[in-house]
Amino acid sequence: MAQHFAGRRSAFLRLPPAGVFICFVVITLTLLGLVALFSASQAMHDNPAVLLRKQIIWLVIASLAGVFTMFINLDALRPLSYFLAGVAIFALVAVLIPGIGVTVNGAQRWIDFGPMRLQVSEIGKLGLLFALAHYLSNNKRYLDQFVRGFVVPCGIVGIFCSLILLEPDFGTTFLCGAVGGVMLFLAGMRMKFLIPATVSALTGFAILVYNDPVRLARITSFLNVEGNRSDSAYQLWQGILAFGAGGLQGVGLGSGRQQMSFLPEAHTDFIFSIIGEELGFFFTAGVVVLFMMLFFVGILQLKRAPGLYHYLLVMGALLFITFQALINIGVVTGCLPTKGISLPFISYGGSNLVFMFVLTGIILNGFRTWEFSTLQPKRDL
Amino acid sequence: MSQAFVCTQRATLIQSVIALAFCILLGRLFYLHIWNHEDLADRAQSSRQMVKVIEARRGNIVDQRGNLLASTQMTIDLGVDPQSIRESDTSKLPELAALLNKSLEEIETAFATTSRIRTDGTPYLVRWVPLVKGLNQEIAAEVDALGIKGVYGNNRYARTYPGGKLAAHVLGYVNKADVAANGVEQTFNYYLRGQDGWVESERDGRRREMAQYRDREVLPHDGLNLQLCLDQMIQHIIEGEVDRLAEEYDPESISIIVSEPTTGALLGLANYPSYDLNEYYNTQKYPVANQRNRALTDSFEPGSTFKIVPIAAALNERLVRANQEFATNLTHMNYRGRKVNLPRDDHIKSNSLRLNQILVKSSNRASAQVGMLLGEQMLYDYASAFGYGEPTGCDLVGEGTGVLHPVRNWDGLTITRMPMGHAVSATPMQVHTAMSVFANQGILMEPMVVRQVYDAAGESVVQFRPRAKRRVISTETAELVTNMLTDVVEVGTARRTARLDGHFAAGKTGTTQKIENGSYSRTKQVTSFSGFLPARNPQLVITVVVDHPKVYKASGGKVCGPAFKNIAQSCIAYLGIRSDRQVSAPLALKPLLLHGTSRMSN
Repeated sequence: MAQHFAGRRSAFLRLPPAGVFICFVVITLTLLGLVALFSASQAMHDNPAVLLRKQIIWLVIASLAGVFTMFINLDALRPLSYFLAGVAIFALVAVLIPGIGVTVNGAQRWIDFGPMRLQVSEIGKLGLLFALAHYLSNNKRYLDQFVRGFVVPCGIVGIFCSLILLEPDFGTTFLCGAVGGVMLFLAGMRMKFLIPATVSALTGFAILVYNDPVRLARITSFLNVEGNRSDSAYQLWQGILAFGAGGLQGVGLGSGRQQMSFLPEAHTDFIFSIIGEELGFFFTAGVVVLFMMLFFVGILQLKRAPGLYHYLLVMGALLFITFQALINIGVVTGCLPTKGISLPFISYGGSNLVFMFVLTGIILNGFRTWEFSTLQPKRDL
Repeated sequence: MSQAFVCTQRATLIQSVIALAFCILLGRLFYLHIWNHEDLADRAQSSRQMVKVIEARRGNIVDQRGNLLASTQMTIDLGVDPQSIRESDTSKLPELAALLNKSLEEIETAFATTSRIRTDGTPYLVRWVPLVKGLNQEIAAEVDALGIKGVYGNNRYARTYPGGKLAAHVLGYVNKADVAANGVEQTFNYYLRGQDGWVESERDGRRREMAQYRDREVLPHDGLNLQLCLDQMIQHIIEGEVDRLAEEYDPESISIIVSEPTTGALLGLANYPSYDLNEYYNTQKYPVANQRNRALTDSFEPGSTFKIVPIAAALNERLVRANQEFATNLTHMNYRGRKVNLPRDDHIKSNSLRLNQILVKSSNRASAQVGMLLGEQMLYDYASAFGYGEPTGCDLVGEGTGVLHPVRNWDGLTITRMPMGHAVSATPMQVHTAMSVFANQGILMEPMVVRQVYDAAGESVVQFRPRAKRRVISTETAELVTNMLTDVVEVGTARRTARLDGHFAAGKTGTTQKIENGSYSRTKQVTSFSGFLPARNPQLVITVVVDHPKVYKASGGKVCGPAFKNIAQSCIAYLGIRSDRQVSAPLALKPLLLHGTSRMSN
């Protein structure tokens, strides 16, 4: 199998068919996102093109960033990993300083650069990814030591998570913790370290949520969506209704009614509901399948990774995309309590789009440069 | 599947978990989109669906000359949404308070009412605090011009009665629940109310209509207008007279009815006590009992005004001649083999009266003898024919029938008492229509309240024609009795009070003791006068009933006669009814004055 992929490459980008497929998935999802955004923003703005134009500008930036990441030398970047992590931590601390960070809805998550607003946790995710990949591939053989196998890796994840938690951004904290944990797990962290760490992290998280009335209400209302449909679970309930209203084939693009003030965040976190209502089951299931294929096609390629650093970097990128998709779709379909996690490639929002394209760039970069499967299977004679 | 750098089991576990998560999501999507589609789609639809009623405008009510008696105006219920007010508008609040005629504190309180507490103790946000109801459009426009965000009004139709108390009992009113109560508002509600229209549409999450999804719009049909037979001027005249009587005699109640004999058209109807149609809800000022249309609902013993029935009946049956004599000094008579007591006639000095004097002197004894000539059944039949014991068919609510017992229920005295108007009760309207029979050559008309129903363009939709119920007596009999009734006014019981200067009027007084605790009261009377004019060519029938006037020796002639005269003379001047009285001698000596008089009456 792998040879077939390795054998046929497009001349221009040196991409294996799997890479081309991932490009296709990303472009499809992005275009679907633009269409859904245009439809959803009709009810929100007098001029529905305003959001679309902003998003297209972001898309151009994101594409440039993605192509750049695709062509850089990941190995050359490796010595800079801790520096990257340091920059990310610096940004995460800076955003907490009043005057630098911009507060929206009680959360200090953005740094304002004039016309653009950067969501700092996206940089944090990148920093975490590089730092963890670099550290774990350097220290793989020491992972059964207490300090190098438990304190340091958990510390890396802990620093990023706690800084993001301070903003506060519970959703992204959870995401980073999950991705970090899975990377530790895959890299071979001992279960005697991993289990207590995970349990204590989850307990701490649960205590924090329990002491936060707003977030606790989200959890309790999630448990009884119908009962709370007029207040705390209003948005969730309206989102669920949108899926039902869409049915098999959807009500047609632009004909959806749920975004007409029923869904206050229709263009960002709840855009999947709009797709569900207007385009129906085939499209929502299609989106889920595309995300699933993105992950598994990526996984298939991973065995050609030249080293653990590459492996973890691409795996982490895939996990970030996949987990974000899973959490977002889980939330809007009522499977998970509400979190502020956007849907990769589709939701409105510049920072996230750029981050997603950078992750895609990392994945494609790997695909492009990995020549052979490191452990070659026996050849058929 | 072999993995290069990681434990295979761990990688497989992670991949399996993620695959499972994707499958769960696909299953969930299937459930929402397809399995549970209908239920959810219904819920989404029903939370959006709205039916907005477009109120139809209720029709006007005008009098026979087109004067507006009841109308509907667009008013605005102004309120504020405390959630959407701006700080910058605070400076405009004093202006708003001045416009709405309210204190600044009231306005500020309304603006500050952002949340209230439900009965179960949980707070909720308030989106509407009413400021003032029924604001007229000019002030609402000025409020709009202030441009305070969050202050807005809802249009509402409000019924107004420009005349206030005028013709209150005829008109009735529309109450706050939009239910028409009393009068023609109630009986002709079908024509007046119109048909509300509606819009089937959808609303968005902020409960605003999304006009682009309107799928059915049914325009309202405004109500039709009603033209009454009532004449505002005549109504005004009789209400003035009611007020005068009320002030002078402080009675329990008064009813005055004026109508046109040939058509039955009701020109005016007034009761005391009355109420203001614009303040019907103010039961402190106007007790609910004031809303009763006593001219139709309350019955009384008509007394002497009923004597026209046996006299006319006997003449019509040719049982008596006009100059036939009746003894007035007898106290007992034989009737069908038994001795019956005759009623007293204290005020009559002579020993006998001719038939044509019975009404003039209002003799109870002679009337009883006429009644005995007729016999029970015929007396009953004629009383029924004159409309006693049955509703007049007037198009107003709550009409009573009075009491006219069938013959089998009569006791031994009834044959002598009923001819003088005892042992029978009637509403003022029944007395009135019975009198109208003589003014209309013997034909009983149904009272006509409404002339026509017309639409907004002024085109007539329904025309109401005068309706004759039956011929009661012959034209000749009517003429004979009219002559007797003219004598009543000219030389009889009403000569001092009801006689008109320029016209011959016909009429009959009535005075009965009120029945209190089962026996006749010595001090409380119901006085009445029912008559018409001009006697030869009747154009107006006027009935005045005053219940318990507080005056010594109250009688129909004394209390109601002047009222009849005042109303008659004002109406004569207003309608220009030609004089039918021969020029009298003193006037003939002053040709200049006569000239002036005749021109006036023309």
